[in-house]
Amino acid sequence: MASDRRWHGLILAVVVGLLVLPVVLDSDGLPLSTYPMYARQRQAEVDFVTAQGVDADGDVVPLGLDVIGASDDPLIVAGELRADVRAGRAEERCVEIWQRVSDSGAASRTGVVQIVTVQIVTERHDVIEHTADRPSLRGRTVHAECEAAT
Amino acid sequence: MRLRGSGQQVPAERLAAFRVVLGVFVSSYLVLRSPVFFELGSRSADRFEPIGVFRLIDRPLVGWVNSAMVISGIALAVAAAAGWRFKVVGPLFAIVLLVLSSHRSSWGQLLHFEHLMVLHAFVVGLSPAADAWSLDARRRSRAGRTVDADAGGDRYGFPLLVASVVVVTTYVIAGIAKLRYGGTGWVAGDTLRNHVAYSASRLELLGGWASPAAALVIDAGWLLVPMAAVSVLIELVAPVALLGGRWRNGWVIAAWLMHAGIYALMLVGFPSPLFLVAFAPLFALERWWRRLVVARADLPFGRWSVRRGPADRA
Repeated sequence: MASDRRWHGLILAVVVGLLVLPVVLDSDGLPLSTYPMYARQRQAEVDFVTAQGVDADGDVVPLGLDVIGASDDPLIVAGELRADVRAGRAEERCVEIWQRVSDSGAASRTGVVQIVTVQIVTERHDVIEHTADRPSLRGRTVHAECEAAT
Repeated sequence: MRLRGSGQQVPAERLAAFRVVLGVFVSSYLVLRSPVFFELGSRSADRFEPIGVFRLIDRPLVGWVNSAMVISGIALAVAAAAGWRFKVVGPLFAIVLLVLSSHRSSWGQLLHFEHLMVLHAFVVGLSPAADAWSLDARRRSRAGRTVDADAGGDRYGFPLLVASVVVVTTYVIAGIAKLRYGGTGWVAGDTLRNHVAYSASRLELLGGWASPAAALVIDAGWLLVPMAAVSVLIELVAPVALLGGRWRNGWVIAAWLMHAGIYALMLVGFPSPLFLVAFAPLFALERWWRRLVVARADLPFGRWSVRRGPADRA
């Protein structure tokens, strides 16, 4: 019984040690993590990488998650887009999204709109203003642009 | 002062109940999220950024292997819940869940929704969690063999204690992360408000829908400062849950409300705590089951138990 307790104490110490190890090493992973989600300071102005449609009048048309990233998971879609822009694959991604726009009959989040161009962009927004539905755009960089002919 | 579960004998049914809860939850989760998991098999390897076990092989699962893993994951979770061939199924269930979770997080965004689920799968999968309320137990019973619940000392309580320690430690680490990476500004400044607004904006800019509650809270931004402080406090004091009784109940309610609040404001759901599965090892689940159903002798689990020990009868 006493031997069991010693073993149990040792196992518990190892388990806690393993859980705390990423904190000591400052290295996030899976299944052991530093659990840094939403832990960092965040300013009100943030850069977002996204894909947008543009209609014949030049107005921006939001696309759906499934069109942008073929997934319903915003974290995966956002992560992939960021990775593509970082790796210089924005053009390639743009063509993929354009294909999905074509396949979906130019359906946007807000209904059927004639989209003539797809753009991969980084937009800088004041997120407080954006959430409050006030003008929030502070800057916009187009990484790639594609249309039916591409 | 004594930690709940340390040095006291726990019935096999308590650990079995956690196995059933975890297995049912994971199988449901994998079925509901299967489109996301299946779709990963068709992604371009160029976009692969390996996490966890995939750092070892540095490449994604090819389509058919990915599909086989998802189907195996669901089947193993069901088998684990039923307690079928658990000595083999238990560890396999944990390993396949780790592979699926790591694969899902290896596309540019490390997700933190599944960590606790995977850790609990390992604790349960490597424990004697199918000594009761299982197909294995029924088979043993039919063969005239039973497991003596008193024979193994703290055989069933210890895995539950480990699972509980895992829960509270992860919360403490999350609390430490906010102070470490965010500093006191996380508690006293605008960081939480900006995070809520960031999540809402990100969803909208990616073509999704933000929570309507986000705009309301942003307008009443002063609310978020005490909410931030309380969130960090809940995470840092998580070990009080190990004391049991009112300490545990109070902390679990507070932690659940925190997750419900995160979901309401940011549409970010941590399924395991939201469905209370993460907190299950902290409770004597078998008593609830007995009170609810097993008092009716005709129910199957009533016959699939191990021999009762004195602690169980107490």
